[in-house]
Amino acid sequence: MRFLWVIPVDTSSELGKGVGIVGWGVYIPIWRVRAVEIAKMWGFSEELTKSLWIEEKAVAGEDEDTVTMGWYAAKAAIERSGIDPNHIGAVFVGTESKPYAVKPSATIIADALMDSNMKSASDIEFACRAGGEGIRNSIALVASGMAKYALVIGSDTAQANPGDVLELTASSGAAAYVIGPAQESVAVFEGSTVYVTDTPDFWRRDCSPYPQHGEIFTGEPAYFHHIVSAAKLLFEELGLKPSDFDYAVFHQPNGKFPLQVGRMLGFPKEKILPGIVTPWIGNTYNGSALIGLAKVLEEAKPGSRILVVTFGSGAGSDAFSIIVKEGIEERVKRGPKVIDFLKRKKYVSYGEYAKNRRIITKIE
Amino acid sequence: MRNVYIVSASMIKVDRYFNKSYKELVLNALTKILDEGSIEHIDYTVVSTLLSDSILHQLDLSTVLTQYLGLNPISSLRVETGESSGLAAIELGFSLIASGKADSVLVVGVEKLTEYPTNIINENYSKILDYEIETIRNISPPDYAALIMKEYMKRYKIKREELTIWPIKMHDNALRNPHAQLRFRVDMNKVLNSITIAEPIKLLDTFPIGDGSAIILLGSERVLRRSNSECMKITYITSSTSQPIYLRDDILEFTALRKAFKTLYEGSRLDLEETLLEIHDSYSIYAYLILEELGIAPRGKVPNIVDELGNVNLSGGLKARGHPFGATGIYQVAEAYSILSDKGLGELKYNGRYGLIHSMSGPDYNSRLCLIEKVM
Repeated sequence: MRFLWVIPVDTSSELGKGVGIVGWGVYIPIWRVRAVEIAKMWGFSEELTKSLWIEEKAVAGEDEDTVTMGWYAAKAAIERSGIDPNHIGAVFVGTESKPYAVKPSATIIADALMDSNMKSASDIEFACRAGGEGIRNSIALVASGMAKYALVIGSDTAQANPGDVLELTASSGAAAYVIGPAQESVAVFEGSTVYVTDTPDFWRRDCSPYPQHGEIFTGEPAYFHHIVSAAKLLFEELGLKPSDFDYAVFHQPNGKFPLQVGRMLGFPKEKILPGIVTPWIGNTYNGSALIGLAKVLEEAKPGSRILVVTFGSGAGSDAFSIIVKEGIEERVKRGPKVIDFLKRKKYVSYGEYAKNRRIITKIE
Repeated sequence: MRNVYIVSASMIKVDRYFNKSYKELVLNALTKILDEGSIEHIDYTVVSTLLSDSILHQLDLSTVLTQYLGLNPISSLRVETGESSGLAAIELGFSLIASGKADSVLVVGVEKLTEYPTNIINENYSKILDYEIETIRNISPPDYAALIMKEYMKRYKIKREELTIWPIKMHDNALRNPHAQLRFRVDMNKVLNSITIAEPIKLLDTFPIGDGSAIILLGSERVLRRSNSECMKITYITSSTSQPIYLRDDILEFTALRKAFKTLYEGSRLDLEETLLEIHDSYSIYAYLILEELGIAPRGKVPNIVDELGNVNLSGGLKARGHPFGATGIYQVAEAYSILSDKGLGELKYNGRYGLIHSMSGPDYNSRLCLIEKVM
């Protein structure tokens, strides 16, 4: 079964018909744990960190969670867009690590950012691709006129079973996008596709503190199959090929997979590397591809075409083709850049990280 | 004793079949034999699998498979002797025909490992050792391979780098085997920089986890006469067991293999230089020890001659073809049969009369040898 949704956009004359990115922002906590320290703690070999291409990961401090990080990213996105936040008609938070199992994170963030209550707000859960789903929903709301702007946040304090290989990469971070009419946007959606199947590659059962995964099964039949399928559908729908794109951003559970899937699709390394952030901040789950996209937007020239493909276990991928417009440089300057967050870091020991992330807890 | 022949052989690529059940794997392998029209009548199915109980939750796999394949009502048996189960199944099939109990035996090997993550597979694979003494103390097969490799390097003053020659050669060989799981080249750095399994064993020193099914049809003289396919004789099949590692005088000696080879050699006077060899290289260190036991080179010298060996593991071995446990022995025989045949196996062909197949469990806890011969 195929789910397709394509907006034809003429970037020169009929911009009014389309939907695009009006602003974006990210948040990456200052704290970093070195991957080799985690490897040493649990007896993994250093080669493993190299083979996955993970050097360090960002971890939330003890006073940070999905909501606080999401708020920071959203605040930056709104400031960068220059819009009145009260005109936002929908707020979506894509996360799999919400502080409340029942009670929306979206309402907390929205109320902290705007006065208007005339908005829809909800949390979306689809492992690492809920943010992608949020963007799809937002495009639909804006295109249909049901909302002038929509705010999409991907934020996670990713959980991993201590000692599982996942712990080397599971990290914390957030990205937010203000989606709005193409004429106010600095990058427009040329089209999007989605590919979803029931593939149990990674899951967390109710009341279980950490997710489990099917090891190699998370690769071939999950990550690679879904990303390749969604991207190929997009190429087919838009009549494009890899050489038509200047950048390719993929969900990045580690540094290796996005390069590998890019190779499978026919992208040279040079088009993928600008959007790679995981080796230095880890896999921020819902923030992963979206922080990568933000980094690319901050260096792309008008006219560039960007492929973005998300992936979430369970499993599904969204593929977006985005064309960068004039005026992007000015909007980049309006807020902190991804590169600033990458440079802003302080190292913590495994012990401090374990305490801050409540892997070890004191009985009060 | 009656003569026993390989009438037909078939196998599927060793791979990760996430979307297929073990039954489909067997059916895919069997289809080729059925298409050849080699099967007229079957008396027995002998099924080899190592972990069907724990991984597939299936006991009496031979009956279930016989029913699934629609071969009933015929006799069926399951064989399990650790990693050498496949060759043990052929040994049993051989005995059934040689003794006159059967004329035609379908020997089926199947293993489906991708149902569970590696730690579960390894936990169950480790049960090939003595559970009460070794496995319960967390000793697993690669731990022993690591001990043996360390001792080998120390005794013969061989550098770790020199021992990468085996996996490099096996990966090269596998490029020409259409059924191999790992069809890519590796070099010394790639082997040395791969993940450590048990110091000094690296990931690329050992076999990949994969699924597979291989089938061999064995027949008596009567079946041979009615067959249109190229048949080969099983000239000799023998096996032996040895002491557990912790009771051995010398951990660099594989005495089960030595005993089996002595029996076979005395009966056949085989010239190994002219023989196609398939050996059980579950860990690269074992390849060196096996070739030493077979007298291919003096002790501690095998790494020096690996490059010159043009008749050993043309399939890529367990290292690169793969090691779907219960099916492996049957893959080895099916490959040797195909490579020796006039048709060859893909591009692989060996111009000789004999093929010697070796399979073992753990570090030579049991060893089995099978000699096949072209019918001239």
